[in-house]
Amino acid sequence: MSIPFWRNRDRYYRMLGSKCQKCGKEFFPSVLVCRSCHSTDVKDFEMPQSGKLLSYTLQKESISGFEDQEPMVFGLVELDNGVRVVAQIVDTPYEALKMGTKVRTVFRKVRTDGESGQIYYGYKFAPVRVTSH
Amino acid sequence: MNSRVYILDVGLTRVGDHWKSSIQELAYESAKGLLHRNSRSIPFDGLVVANALSEISSSQQNLGPLIADALQLDNVEAIEVEAAGASGAAAVHVASKMLSSEHWKKCLVIGVEKMRDLEPSKITLAQALSEQAEYTHFFGMSLASLNALLARLYMSEYGTTRDQLSSFPVIAHKNSSTCEHAQFRKKFSRDDVSRSEIVSDPLRVLDCAPVGDGSAAIILASGEEMDAQQRRNSVEIVTSESASGRVNFFERDDMLEFMSTKKAADRAFLKTGLSIDDIDIFEIHDAYSVGAALICEALGLSKRGEACKDAVSGKFDLNGQFPISTFGGMKGRGYPVGAAGVYQFCEAFMQLKEKAGFNQVPNARRALIQTMSGIDSSCFIHILSTQHKG
Repeated sequence: MSIPFWRNRDRYYRMLGSKCQKCGKEFFPSVLVCRSCHSTDVKDFEMPQSGKLLSYTLQKESISGFEDQEPMVFGLVELDNGVRVVAQIVDTPYEALKMGTKVRTVFRKVRTDGESGQIYYGYKFAPVRVTSH
Repeated sequence: MNSRVYILDVGLTRVGDHWKSSIQELAYESAKGLLHRNSRSIPFDGLVVANALSEISSSQQNLGPLIADALQLDNVEAIEVEAAGASGAAAVHVASKMLSSEHWKKCLVIGVEKMRDLEPSKITLAQALSEQAEYTHFFGMSLASLNALLARLYMSEYGTTRDQLSSFPVIAHKNSSTCEHAQFRKKFSRDDVSRSEIVSDPLRVLDCAPVGDGSAAIILASGEEMDAQQRRNSVEIVTSESASGRVNFFERDDMLEFMSTKKAADRAFLKTGLSIDDIDIFEIHDAYSVGAALICEALGLSKRGEACKDAVSGKFDLNGQFPISTFGGMKGRGYPVGAAGVYQFCEAFMQLKEKAGFNQVPNARRALIQTMSGIDSSCFIHILSTQHKG
């Protein structure tokens, strides 16, 4: 797992996706060919760091390697540029989440690789704190 | 070119725990009766094995020759087909094209899957392999969680209640309660489903297909080689179509439309000139309740957003307008991933040959089989018929 992780580190650390240089459409995960106009002139492009929650779930059955993090909260997020991603949602009780909750990207530990011992990091999302007066 | 393709015979094991059987032994179990009944006077030209998870469950690849060896099928071309949850239907798709093009005259398709040897978290990982690894299970996300996100969207968009969503597992288990080869021969009420343990909220354990071992086998032949009696005893595969689309459901323009299913079904109906009203039973890939609803809508059995209401009304029951999952489907019969598609063919065959016992849909003449990988990333549509045109 460690080499694919290394290869993707900019995707995981900065949410580096793509932008089509011809029609301007943005994508994450990155694409090789524009999904809108099929141009191959696509360049790396960083995703905006905020968006809103379209859906969310509390996962109680873990995937191998994540048993120690059970249960986990995951969400479907629409970023401010309209791109939709799925990611873990952190720093909030599950019960506080609603459709439409504003979220921002945070940089966190994903897990420790059981075989190599390497620690993987990546993007997650946390609700934007509303300051009250 | 373009011979007609027929299913001559079918065999299957009960879905569930087969602790004592290896992957080869389980495959043999499903095929032995059918090999015994069908003399080898016309030799098999090919063997297509459908499997999705043998690398993980049995540290094994190369199932084509391994299973040909176990069955003593000498001189066959032996190949394996993998298309995650659609492997079984993909194998039939490949086999039927081999036969219709007259490259083969007769072949065996065997779906086999061992899942119960794995510990639970490894099973959850194995089930998620259909999704784009780097952006889903790398972060710990299961296939059930992706379906849960979809379910919440669906329910919110259409105002579907938890009770209504539970209607699909209820149909599946009603049908599997009288199915001998089903993993769970037990009925559940909508309340049972809605109150079962949470897997990925809002999905409960009874929204999700169970984990089981299983194997199913069918013999296919081209019409050229068959006499009148054989044709009478067989079922024709009148069309075998496939379509694929965006793997990540969250990247689709319309997240609540199963486009692969819709495209493959449209092609199947266009090629045959048939419509849903000409079909008597529908075997669908109902591994998740929300998926079952979206499949019914993509096939045109329900209007968008109304599949759960239709399910509650009885439209999809064995005696309803469009019977689905007549032996329990993935949810009730069980879901040995790579083998599951082949079970659907066995069940459709049993319906069309009036060998479905308690589950018989009267006068069933045509069946549609919908099988998909992941969340409709690819779909195979087959239409089976007992009405021969000559």
